[in-house]
Amino acid sequence: MTAPTIAAGGARATLRRNFWRGVWRVLRRKPSRMLGVAIMILFTLMGVLGPMLYPERLPRDDNALYGPPSWAHPFGTDFEGTDVLALVITGSRYVLLTGLVTAVITVALGTGIGLFAGFRRGRWDSVLMRITDMKLTIPGLPLLLVLSTVWKFSSPLAMGLVLGLLGWGGVARAVRAQTLSLRERGFIEAARGLGLSTPHIIGRELLPGMAPFIAMNMLIAVTGAVYAQVGLFFLGVLPFEANNWGVMLNLAVFGGGALTTTAALPYLLAPLLAILLLTLGIVLVVDAMDEIFNPRLREE
Amino acid sequence: MVMTSVKAPATSGRRAPGVRVSGLSVVYRTPAGELPAVSGVDLELVPGSITGVVGESGSGKSTLALSLLNAVQPPGRISAGSVEIDGLGDVVRLRGEELRKARGRHIGYVFQAAQNSLNPLKTVGKQLLDLGRSHDVADLRALVRDARDLLGRMGMDGARVLDSHQHELSGGMRQRVGIMLALVLNAHLVVLDEPTTALDMITQANILRIVREVHEERGLTTLVITHDLGVVAEIADRLAVMYGGRVVEQGPTRQVLGAPRHPYTQGLLRAIPRLVGDIDEARALPGRPPTLGTIPATGCVFRERCPLRAEICATAEPRAISLGESIVACHVAEAGAGPEGRTRQAAEARKAREEHT
Amino acid sequence: MITGRNVTKTFRQRGGVLSGREVTALRGVDFAIGRGGAASFIGESGCGKTTLGRIIAGLEEHDTGEIVIDGVPMSSLRPRQRQPYFRRIQLIHQDPYSALNPTRTVHQTLDAPLTLRARQTRRPRSWVDERAEELLTLVGLDPGYVLPRYPHQLSGGMRQRVVIARALTVDPEMLVADEAVSMIDVSLRLGILALLKDLRERLGVSVLFITHDVATARYIGEDGELYVIYRGQVVERGPVETVISAPVHPYTQSLLSAIPVLHGLERPGEQPVLPTEALDESRPDAGCLFARRCPFRTGRCEAERPVLGHGGDTPQWHACHHPERRSVVAVPIGRR
Repeated sequence: MTAPTIAAGGARATLRRNFWRGVWRVLRRKPSRMLGVAIMILFTLMGVLGPMLYPERLPRDDNALYGPPSWAHPFGTDFEGTDVLALVITGSRYVLLTGLVTAVITVALGTGIGLFAGFRRGRWDSVLMRITDMKLTIPGLPLLLVLSTVWKFSSPLAMGLVLGLLGWGGVARAVRAQTLSLRERGFIEAARGLGLSTPHIIGRELLPGMAPFIAMNMLIAVTGAVYAQVGLFFLGVLPFEANNWGVMLNLAVFGGGALTTTAALPYLLAPLLAILLLTLGIVLVVDAMDEIFNPRLREE
Repeated sequence: MVMTSVKAPATSGRRAPGVRVSGLSVVYRTPAGELPAVSGVDLELVPGSITGVVGESGSGKSTLALSLLNAVQPPGRISAGSVEIDGLGDVVRLRGEELRKARGRHIGYVFQAAQNSLNPLKTVGKQLLDLGRSHDVADLRALVRDARDLLGRMGMDGARVLDSHQHELSGGMRQRVGIMLALVLNAHLVVLDEPTTALDMITQANILRIVREVHEERGLTTLVITHDLGVVAEIADRLAVMYGGRVVEQGPTRQVLGAPRHPYTQGLLRAIPRLVGDIDEARALPGRPPTLGTIPATGCVFRERCPLRAEICATAEPRAISLGESIVACHVAEAGAGPEGRTRQAAEARKAREEHT
Repeated sequence: MITGRNVTKTFRQRGGVLSGREVTALRGVDFAIGRGGAASFIGESGCGKTTLGRIIAGLEEHDTGEIVIDGVPMSSLRPRQRQPYFRRIQLIHQDPYSALNPTRTVHQTLDAPLTLRARQTRRPRSWVDERAEELLTLVGLDPGYVLPRYPHQLSGGMRQRVVIARALTVDPEMLVADEAVSMIDVSLRLGILALLKDLRERLGVSVLFITHDVATARYIGEDGELYVIYRGQVVERGPVETVISAPVHPYTQSLLSAIPVLHGLERPGEQPVLPTEALDESRPDAGCLFARRCPFRTGRCEAERPVLGHGGDTPQWHACHHPERRSVVAVPIGRR
């Protein structure tokens, strides 16, 4: 009896190992997924290590304003003669950190509220969903414009917090809908019949079934946040306190006239390309979420 | 009542067709290569008879039924064999438009869970007209009249049903609507896939009676696919038992049930609890039915669960032999059917027949 | 161990077109199931048998009437206090595919309730894994094979055994099996039924079997009681063998007549009873609920609703003004 008992005791570790092995298998199934992961790793490294590669103040070169692409400057230089690639890399941290904070807040709030409302039903459900509906009717951009007059968003955390607080409504609605349908399943009923605790039922029985959905929303929230903040900076609504992609776009268009002359074009395209590449990477990985979190699709 | 308006087989100018399935194999493409769902099936549907195909999940019975319409969907494909239908030729060779016309006009198909296969947004009548238009029926008025008569024949208020949406009909009514849609284009070969699953006992009995009556009145050749031996026992003239993609035993229903030759048929019959007699006579079959991936590639497909397993079962696939009126694919049954075995079986069969009459 | 008196239940449709419509599921049902006993509810779908099973398992609340578990009337307790009573009664779902969480292995599925049980009974943590293996062996599975697997890697029959093992983790005194084999392959059904029967004999667990298939009800509880339920009312109740061999209510008789005959093995019953029309619950019935479909109805049936009793000196209870024995069950032909 002892041998299998030990085997069962180590089951948790085996399970975790199998999970990651399964993830690897799922990703390898399509080359596009590997590409997506590679892109995401690239951006993560860029955000974490990128700024360390460059001095605090990037070097300028007054002789090469709006320089064309060259070996030394693959994306040319900006109005001050600073390397555009360096700007993109050092500017990524703010953008990516904001995206991450937004995604975490969106998903945590949305999932939490959706689960609670869907599981409790009744009065809690009505109250929470009314709040959600109200929140969904608030137009995000005008509110951000108003907020930016009083708040400077110099920290990516503050920016992410605001975007996150604006974004959880849709996730909450969808998670609630899923919870309502899952709670009618036999295994949830059985768990209640066995007297298992509510935290166990919500955390262990309900949540894993929604993992692909949640992970997908998290990734999509990152892209949403990147668009939103880049948009705000591009419009010039927020003061430029730090270098980031939105600032670059703004300066390229309104300072360099990239829409009318070709000189500043690389300066405009570089951050755009970065945003596109990031979105592409995320979209390619989202495709794998269903298979990663569904044991059946994972093992096949 | 409305019986008179139901078309007699003679007026249609066509008669119940015979169907000969020979050497039919269907494979499914999977990551593990092409796996056989149906292997080398020979089956004959006698004109005007009701044939029942019984099997568990993974036996290939539904795939076989779809093959009759050449409607196996990718990743599956018919890899060998033919399905000859009188007046239609080899269905396996039909393509495109020809095939589409054949379905509906020659072959009526009542899908599994026909209760849920109606369009919830359209009335039954609208769906009937869609069906008529897609088959270029010239006289839609006559089609509606036929449909009303058929529904009336099955004990329903035809006009009301045609005006109803799916949700306004009970499970048994939807099943009858499914049968109506399969027959209204005057098909004389009808395939019913699990016609009574999810229906109650009384409704089931009702539907089976209707199937039998309509079958006789219209002069049809009918194939019933089911997992429930009781269903085929009740209405089928002939019975084919499928296991692991093979027909392991077939013959007249009374023969197959009264004197089963294949150990699977015997085991299945023993595994059904009955209402009278010693309940301890019921015995479970050990093991479980094979799935697409676990069907043995060589030897007998049933050997792992077989109480009579011999050495030869692991190496050679049993061939189908005639024992009395039945056709059985089993090494042990074949060995037991030596000269004296045959006479013994014949005597038993005779006895069984006498007992029913 | 559990009795019910005059249990009623009405569902109100919420939302949609049918909003406000009431559906009567149970119209005053009495039942009693003893420790280690067996009972079966049979009837058509929508007759209320599943609702009654769920009320007995504590998953649904009844409207009026009383349910008494081990001598304690549930109405005297607050909902929270009822929990430990209803935990002794575990429901086995019809669908073994939705009854197990697809994202959790069998080990995880058994671990949670067993850990809870260990805490309640002050057993060491090591007991949990031992018990999981013990239970899986008890239900006829190989723990080494099953424990690390996800539900989708198991067959329907194996899943249903896991569901039964999970129900046994809390040491229940009664299992409520709602159509527990209807979604399982025919050759595997008897195995599950035999397991339930075996658990009854070995562990002394009572079994309540809810089904539309009278033969399986008989297999599980030959010595038990059969309740024939029609439109939320018990119309016949008695020992299984009595009700099957000598049914007196025309509804029971039509249910038994509808069971397919294995031609070649059996001969149909001599006096089959066919309902005269289909079930239609849209019209009200003043008298017997079955009257409109009953081939033997009289004026009295349409005017006065019969109550469950022994009228006509029958051994079983029945709710019929004109009880009469009819031979409706198919009989086997000689010997196989």
